Amino acid sequence: MEILERDCSERLLIEAAQNEPARFAELYEQNFDRVYAFLARRVPSREEAQDLTAEVFHQALASIRNFKWQGAPFISWLYGIAANVLASHWQKVGKCALEQPTDFSYAGDGIERSIMLGQLVRSLSQDQRLVVVRRFVDQKSIREIAQELGRSEGAIKQLQLRALEKLREKVGKKL
Amino acid sequence: MNRELLPEELDLQIEELMGARPGLLSGPNPLLGIAAELCLLPSEDFKHRLKADLFEPAEAIETKERKSINGSREFQPATLDAMASLTPKEFSIMPADPRSFLLSFASHAAVVVLIASGIWVGGHHTIVQPRTLSSELSYVPMPVGDNPPRGGGSGGDRSTIPASRGTPPKFSEEQLTPPAIIVRNPSPKLPVDATVLGPPQLKLPQSNQIGDILSSNAVIPSNGAGARGGFGDNSGTGAGNGLGAGAGAGRNGGCCTGVFRPGLGVSAPRAIYDPDPEYSDEARKAKYQGRVVLSIIVDPSGRPKNIYVARSLGMGLDEKAIEAVQKWKFSPGMKDGYPVAVQVNVEVNFRLY
Repeated sequence: MEILERDCSERLLIEAAQNEPARFAELYEQNFDRVYAFLARRVPSREEAQDLTAEVFHQALASIRNFKWQGAPFISWLYGIAANVLASHWQKVGKCALEQPTDFSYAGDGIERSIMLGQLVRSLSQDQRLVVVRRFVDQKSIREIAQELGRSEGAIKQLQLRALEKLREKVGKKL
Repeated sequence: MNRELLPEELDLQIEELMGARPGLLSGPNPLLGIAAELCLLPSEDFKHRLKADLFEPAEAIETKERKSINGSREFQPATLDAMASLTPKEFSIMPADPRSFLLSFASHAAVVVLIASGIWVGGHHTIVQPRTLSSELSYVPMPVGDNPPRGGGSGGDRSTIPASRGTPPKFSEEQLTPPAIIVRNPSPKLPVDATVLGPPQLKLPQSNQIGDILSSNAVIPSNGAGARGGFGDNSGTGAGNGLGAGAGAGRNGGCCTGVFRPGLGVSAPRAIYDPDPEYSDEARKAKYQGRVVLSIIVDPSGRPKNIYVARSLGMGLDEKAIEAVQKWKFSPGMKDGYPVAVQVNVEVNFRLY
């Protein structure tokens, strides 16, 4: 019953976006994390994942009018675009075909775990969240973060440890 | 593990993790797995920037370059691969025949040259019209000519019959044999063509019959009532009704040496070769137009002489007009059947189109 309601709601959103491209924003919000996670697990760097995610949504927006509802969730259509974008990307960079994941239909628990982790980071304390973002997202060193926050390197390392432990604990509870 | 040492060891392991591909890392420490997942998270504002980028006005979406959402890497701007070129690199992407380029280039160049030359010709062509030789259209009205003829000749053998009609013989600087319609000595020891005294370059209408061009006697051969050889009604060795060895109504040789003006039996000369004058650079640059009036004398041989400017235009156009008129050839003005020098005004119009 819940799935049926979700499908109905998504279908209405798609029709609205087809009539008015600005309404695509709601579909974007709903599906961004999954598309990004799908791509981020298949390319070696965040920068490539972001570029490809942008490409996927640009293509989706450009061709939303051609979308035909066939019962599958909208994210499947986006994964299809992402798979094509990935294939083009690998072809462009000359990556060996043997290294490419072949099962693009598989979204897997890894994607959901990544999405959940992103949401959990927002639930951390301000200091812990700042350290996690600077350290893992911005790829800054402990020293740089310590200078930015005006704290010792040891304190930053402690914050990093506690944040990771807290995230592990929350992920364990969720999964 | 010592609680004090754990953060240090974990950070070292995280440093190693960041040097490798985060998504492929796994190990006994579950915290490293979390760290590896965190390394895959997008930049904090990436989602918002992408959203803003996506929902710009639709027109902009189609044409804008796909700018990078992150700062370090950028999408390549649209290349011009679709535009054919002569470079070998482009051949592999979009085949293009170099002959097409050469043909296209040549045809475009030809069109440009044609257009440019058309502009030049249209802008600088010298138009001289109309050239007027008659006094009626002259800028300076000229009085009707009344000069007495100063050349001429006559002769005869005192016949009662007027000299026969015909044309005078050729002119020469020295007359050895006077002209005669009735030749009294048909077998001279030293035959010399009969001539009349006058400049050799002076050409008069010629016919098979020597005679007086104004005579009413077209039937009976006669040398006329004059005396001393030649033919005509006066004295001399020439031809006509003048005096002397020349031809025509004047005297003392030559022909038609008076300068006449059109009218009263004097016809105006007519230009038979009249190349256009050039435009002076100065006048062309200044887009200067106007009319030059030249006063000329067309001599009996049809050549212009004594050219002077009756009405000046300036900017070098006077000189250009004179330069051109000097090359002109005329059919001379006529009086009593003989070509005479006639003074006329020539009007030369300069127009830029």
